[in-house]
Amino acid sequence: MKLFQTAIAAALLGATALAAPAHADVKIGLIGGVTGPIAAMAPPMIASAQLAIDQVNANGGILDGQKLIGVVGDSACNPQNGTDAATKAVNIEGVVAIVGPHCSGSVLAVANSVTVPAGIAIITPSGTSPEITSLDDKDTVFRTVPSDDYQGRALARTLLDRGTKKVAVAYLNNDYGKGLAEAFKSEFEANGGEIAGYAAHEGEKASYRSNLAELASGGADTLVILDYGDGSGLTLLRQALENGFFENFVGADGMKSDATFKELGAENLTTFVASSPVGEKSDALEMFSKAFTEAGGDPSAIFVTTSYDAAFLMALAVEKAGGDKTKVAAAMREISNGTGETILPGEWAKAKELIAAGKAIDYKGAAGDHNFDEKGDVPGAYALFKVGANGFEMIGEMK
Amino acid sequence: MGALEIINFYLVPGLVVGSIYALGAVGITLVFAILRYAHLAHGDLATLGAFLGLGLVTALGISPYLALPAVMVLTAVVAVGIDRVFYDYLRERPKIVTVMASLGIALMVRAIVQVVWGVDSQTYTRGIVRPENWFGIRVRDRELITILAMIALVVALQLFLQRSKWGKAMRAMSDNPDLALLSGVDNGKVVTITWVIVGGLCAAAGLFLGLNFELKAMMGWSMLLPMFAAAILGGVGRVEGAVIGGLIVGVAEEMSTLFLPTEYKAATAFAILLLMLLVRPTGLLRGKVL
Repeated sequence: MKLFQTAIAAALLGATALAAPAHADVKIGLIGGVTGPIAAMAPPMIASAQLAIDQVNANGGILDGQKLIGVVGDSACNPQNGTDAATKAVNIEGVVAIVGPHCSGSVLAVANSVTVPAGIAIITPSGTSPEITSLDDKDTVFRTVPSDDYQGRALARTLLDRGTKKVAVAYLNNDYGKGLAEAFKSEFEANGGEIAGYAAHEGEKASYRSNLAELASGGADTLVILDYGDGSGLTLLRQALENGFFENFVGADGMKSDATFKELGAENLTTFVASSPVGEKSDALEMFSKAFTEAGGDPSAIFVTTSYDAAFLMALAVEKAGGDKTKVAAAMREISNGTGETILPGEWAKAKELIAAGKAIDYKGAAGDHNFDEKGDVPGAYALFKVGANGFEMIGEMK
Repeated sequence: MGALEIINFYLVPGLVVGSIYALGAVGITLVFAILRYAHLAHGDLATLGAFLGLGLVTALGISPYLALPAVMVLTAVVAVGIDRVFYDYLRERPKIVTVMASLGIALMVRAIVQVVWGVDSQTYTRGIVRPENWFGIRVRDRELITILAMIALVVALQLFLQRSKWGKAMRAMSDNPDLALLSGVDNGKVVTITWVIVGGLCAAAGLFLGLNFELKAMMGWSMLLPMFAAAILGGVGRVEGAVIGGLIVGVAEEMSTLFLPTEYKAATAFAILLLMLLVRPTGLLRGKVL
């Protein structure tokens, strides 16, 4: 009797083990800065990635009609939490690939200590540090957002074009702030601008007045803040405004956070501009905007286009790789290299058929064409924004 | 750089931050002296106080100053509750167990704040407040009130400790708990009173931090190191020492940017802490040696 029971149990177990792969859901990690300094930006980013996943599931699912599931993890925008979240996603959840993490520091740490050793492909929608370009990643790290090397240089040229010749730069002492600041400084100085103050600061301090006083002592009336608008960047901006250290304020994508005008008031931010990557006008962008608006999202929120593209690209790559996580990175290159039938946002059913037929496809995303260079980077377009009555308003493209 | 600039941009912010450190450090020093462990949930208890204040301010539409007493009472109740449910249970165990437990409490309290109030930066009142000019010295009203409230709270606490029966019992327990117990001091009650005071001070520190800067889920945690540095600098168990320590750490942090690259500002408190432990472990006012 005992033997019989054991045999039944073993048979059942065996059956589940055999049956499992055929019906199991396919998981990808969605790792983002849910808490921490970019907490205000993260929810729409995750929502737009989720939109891509929903579209996959609504149009036939992934592989053999399985469901694609996004497992959300919190990187808290720092290396330690990012590593924890990625380790959990890879080892416990068993994800085949990761969309994220959101912050550069997390991307570097996660790639070095978790995903590169495990051979898992990651694609970040917002990790913009130039350091990511030079990562020894065995070709598994991609991004749908351009490197800050471009943004820092574009911002420097735009400021010079607008007649700002002398600035002070305050940057957050992390991979994001430092990379951006270095690119900005070299371009600004090379084109005849003067940097009259250049200092890093640690995040999460209560008072930055002494930092600001040091920066202001150089005599510049424009402060470039390369920080997060929901973290210490907000504190810096507030204290600079309250004490009149500077007249004009310039931020990069990290400062384009709704927290700035929600907490400081749009009426106080008339001299504040921020740059941010934007999708170039295209059919793809319109298709995404329509779908995301219908899903209740705001398509002009920062990094939603790149997040959507990252998730959609990852789904295509997983489909192309047949669910084999070791082949996802190689598949990523094949689905968006400029050759083959064009796939626009949301065209999952069409892409699935073409992949099944063995035809080449080329994804053209909401944020750009995403034809990755040899480092897994993409070129980008930027625009400058100011604070208007209803949030950020675009004032012009940047070159 | 003129004297006025030094005062306006280095000394005044240093004193304001220092006052907030002082409020926190007084609580830390009381727990150190009476309960004999490092309370790592101190910063997050302050965060909770700040966000409870935000809850009252948004729900009732009152000014943060009016919310202060209610917030102090609420946080005190939470502190006593945490002690009853967690720390009391561990009282007979080695103290390091309680220290680790308090780290767990810190994470729990922060998670509750994040669940209830979200993770975005928030403020009590929207917009910015430009400083008033008093004969060239630029101070915002709220900064003046922060410093004055800190002094008032600490004076009240000192009077309580020196004059009242329970204050004396607290000091007795700080000197020698067994002897205090034999002399008829109810240790359990002293512990409760300590947590009431510590909870109230935490709430005040958090509220003033939120009032002067922004409310963030991590605000208290990032204040923990300077607060500990202040408590040890002043001498563990010495309330007036914690106040002096807090002010010194606050001013030293701001002044450090005059000599050091600004990214080292956050390390100032740590350097002071290490230096004191090496050179004078009893602190400036001869506190306990840990």
